[in-house]
Amino acid sequence: MPCVVLLFLVIVSLASTPASGQEAQTREEADRQRREQQAKDVTPYKPNGLERALDFAEDRAIFLLDREGFHPKLGSLTTGSGFAYGVGFRDRDLFSNRGALEIWAAGSIKRYWATEARMTFPRLANNHLHLEAWGSRRDYPQENFFGLGPDSNRDDRSDYAIRTDHFGGRAGVRPVEHLLAGGGMEYLKPRLGAGQNDLYPDVPVLFPPSDVPGIDSRSDYMRSSAFVEVDYREPIYAKKGGWYRFDYSHYDDRTTDQFSFNRFDADVRQFFGFLAGRRVIALRLAASTSETDAGQTMPFFFMPTLGGNDTLRGFREYRFRAPHAILAQAEYRWEIWSGFDGALFYDAGKVADTRSELNFKDLESDYGVGFRFNTNNGVMFRVDAAFGSSDGNHLYIVVGGVF
Amino acid sequence: MAITSTSWSAVSSRIALAGALALCAIVLPQSASPRFYPDDPLWTDNDRVADASKVTSVEDSNGYDFIVNTLGNPGEVRDVRALNVNTVDEVPDSSWFTNRIGRSPMSTEAIKRGPDRADRIDVTTWKVSGGKTTGVQPGFRMTDGQGQIYQIEIDPPSNPEIASGAEMIGTAFYHAIGYNVVDVYLAEVDRDTLVIADDATIRDPLNGRRRQMKKYDLDTVFNRAARLKNGHYRVLVSRFAAGTPLGNFRYYSRRPDDPNDLVLHEHRRELRGARVFGAWLNHDDSRGINSLDMLERTNGRAWVKHYMFDFGSILGSGTIFAQRHRSGNEYIYEQKPGWITMATLGLYVRPWITIDYPDVPKSVGRIEAVRFDPVTWKPEYPNAAFANMRADDAFWAARIVSKFSDAAIRAVVEKAEYSDPAATDYLTKTIIARRDKVVATWINQVCPVVDTTLSADGTLAFMNAAIDAKAATAPERYELNWFRFDNATDQRTSVGEPMRVTTGSARMPNGLTGDFVGVSITAVHAQQPGWAVPSTFFFRRTSAGWSLVGVERGAVSATIS
Repeated sequence: MPCVVLLFLVIVSLASTPASGQEAQTREEADRQRREQQAKDVTPYKPNGLERALDFAEDRAIFLLDREGFHPKLGSLTTGSGFAYGVGFRDRDLFSNRGALEIWAAGSIKRYWATEARMTFPRLANNHLHLEAWGSRRDYPQENFFGLGPDSNRDDRSDYAIRTDHFGGRAGVRPVEHLLAGGGMEYLKPRLGAGQNDLYPDVPVLFPPSDVPGIDSRSDYMRSSAFVEVDYREPIYAKKGGWYRFDYSHYDDRTTDQFSFNRFDADVRQFFGFLAGRRVIALRLAASTSETDAGQTMPFFFMPTLGGNDTLRGFREYRFRAPHAILAQAEYRWEIWSGFDGALFYDAGKVADTRSELNFKDLESDYGVGFRFNTNNGVMFRVDAAFGSSDGNHLYIVVGGVF
Repeated sequence: MAITSTSWSAVSSRIALAGALALCAIVLPQSASPRFYPDDPLWTDNDRVADASKVTSVEDSNGYDFIVNTLGNPGEVRDVRALNVNTVDEVPDSSWFTNRIGRSPMSTEAIKRGPDRADRIDVTTWKVSGGKTTGVQPGFRMTDGQGQIYQIEIDPPSNPEIASGAEMIGTAFYHAIGYNVVDVYLAEVDRDTLVIADDATIRDPLNGRRRQMKKYDLDTVFNRAARLKNGHYRVLVSRFAAGTPLGNFRYYSRRPDDPNDLVLHEHRRELRGARVFGAWLNHDDSRGINSLDMLERTNGRAWVKHYMFDFGSILGSGTIFAQRHRSGNEYIYEQKPGWITMATLGLYVRPWITIDYPDVPKSVGRIEAVRFDPVTWKPEYPNAAFANMRADDAFWAARIVSKFSDAAIRAVVEKAEYSDPAATDYLTKTIIARRDKVVATWINQVCPVVDTTLSADGTLAFMNAAIDAKAATAPERYELNWFRFDNATDQRTSVGEPMRVTTGSARMPNGLTGDFVGVSITAVHAQQPGWAVPSTFFFRRTSAGWSLVGVERGAVSATIS
């Protein structure tokens, strides 16, 4: 019986010989047969999950934040507001693409909220004229206050609420490529209230009204300002170049004529790139000073402050506040990968009760290390850890850069 | 006795089994494919033979292409000879590649002309017909009087002529090498005279939705454009390829829906060897998304034609800026140098950071030849075909590069029409210097014996491609090992003693008979250790004598790390 089976196998094997005879006799024929065989097995291309997700991300999601019409509004509202989210509407095609309208409202996890409408014409007169107008309401319910002057005590932490309405406009002329100069008018209506952070007392509980100018004020202000801005950074998240801005503002108390004052702000940033721009020394020197006429007082909530993720990073938000302030910051940034930098930083600064005290003596300082996810147009996201201050260590996870 | 009977039965079964197996053994080898078919070597791969009309578009996103190739290690990494070469180790013409300068001489004029159908074009009567849908280079579409669509792209104000010049040069070179590319031209447009067609649409950059194209869409493009002194704009005009767009090809795997696509792309010689061309011309953007597949129809059958696409970011151009220092030296994301840089707070300086690029016209961008190393050159991110490149692939590509004369290179660079002659001079000089490095590096990794012939009287003659390319001096000697070759069993039988010669000529040993013979050649050269890697040539007996039917280059394992 096995012989029969084997014989059958042999016959089958031999019977297959004619099929072998049909095998390709030429390379071209062999290739043709392979293709004909493959034609029977073709299957439609099916993108995998990652592919579909990234397609969607590039096709749709990247338009989500920057899209026309309604869009989500994400980020922070002010220093210390916490992460905010809301909704916005924009139209950047106004008047044949000459102007843009943006309206948004957002609230933060710390119950800060704000809404704003802004119309901008950034490139009028062949890029030589910039116009914008805005109206907004900002409601910040738990702003830190530690007292005024350089000797304020970190244990005197209190808080207050401030809601401010803004209506204003600004015009800037760009006579040459890197220079913008102009001025504007803004109506401000700040209103103060009790701080809503239950962990800390309200300002009046810790400080007498005489130590907190303007705490009881209900004045409206007209701010008139002039500015000059020079910007020759390359690129915007700079590897070289500089950015300088000088602002002079007059705040006119339109209600009680007690809180009018002038304020001058200077902010100078210089960037030195080396090793093909993969290492950058970034320096910033900012100063703010103010003056009041006789009988006038500068309200505390318009005074410059230091402390927080973008000034003295080793100190709490608004840790220092006074009519005058100076801030020096230095960062050494080194590129780790494209779009990802490390940074070592040092911050120093102080506030001063009088302009004569505005010098580099007895500065508060801190140092730290950070990492930035960036593009040429700026930092999208950063993590900074600050040490070395009298205010403890601080870790910041922030949408946006420092300077 | 029963035991005896049983034993006989078992024995007879075993005999029958042995006989059957022997019979099968006789039959089956005869059905195995021979090493060389009668029509070898094939110079055309007819990859239009099966109907590909069911192929659908595969358009990878930037993010997917980057992530998959950077982190996913796609494709097969295998030390195997390129799977689409013919038996003489060359790339046959196909929908991917057409032998041009590599197989027969091209005139300088033909190299310079590239794929272009016209000497120049005039766009003044054309209409703007739509927005540009891909790429970072600002642009739009125009349609000529016959309905042919072209893509119009501008140069950045910071680096006038940079991207258009790179595109002109890259297109001409890649065409002469053998790839499918589209016609490109330089033209001048007067912004004020452009007319937008009524049916022109654009994908709104703000929300991704398609809408009617408006005047300010052109303003947006020209606001980012370098302007000529006469107020006009120099533009690059690229003719749309014929057929139906199918997205891009990938440097790995195959199209599952294309019956003609037999070979894994990472094992295609012309895609592996593109690493050499990429290094030469600093085409760091050589990645899947800069390719183009088009569905064409011939005689009622559909087939896919594969294009190389977008050369605006080669040489010193980064398309909208001068090329980055990292370009060609490190992947966008490369773990080791990044972690070291992070850990040392930047005290570790990657070598490419210290490259001193010369002060050249801005139209050139950033490219140099002094620190350029063909072996360590890298594209923007890993490429599966490049990772599979072996010494034989590199030799093939280097030999093509060696065919571009100084005059041809200058002619191609002149096609970019740089307004500053210093740009033309510098780029010409740099491309020549990089050519010499590329050729010297890759042509010497195997024994570079080429153009081998065996005459009817048994005289072997051959050339040395490296010497021809002035990439090496003559060797001390060549060593030849002759063999008889059995085409059915793929067996080689040595014949005669190893032979030593000092020139490209030798006599076949006496007693070497058969339908197929072969000779394995190495060379001894103190400066060229790669020449000890044999190149082997197979000849078939014909009525006129012997014809070359097979070439093998390199060792069994030849992947380049």
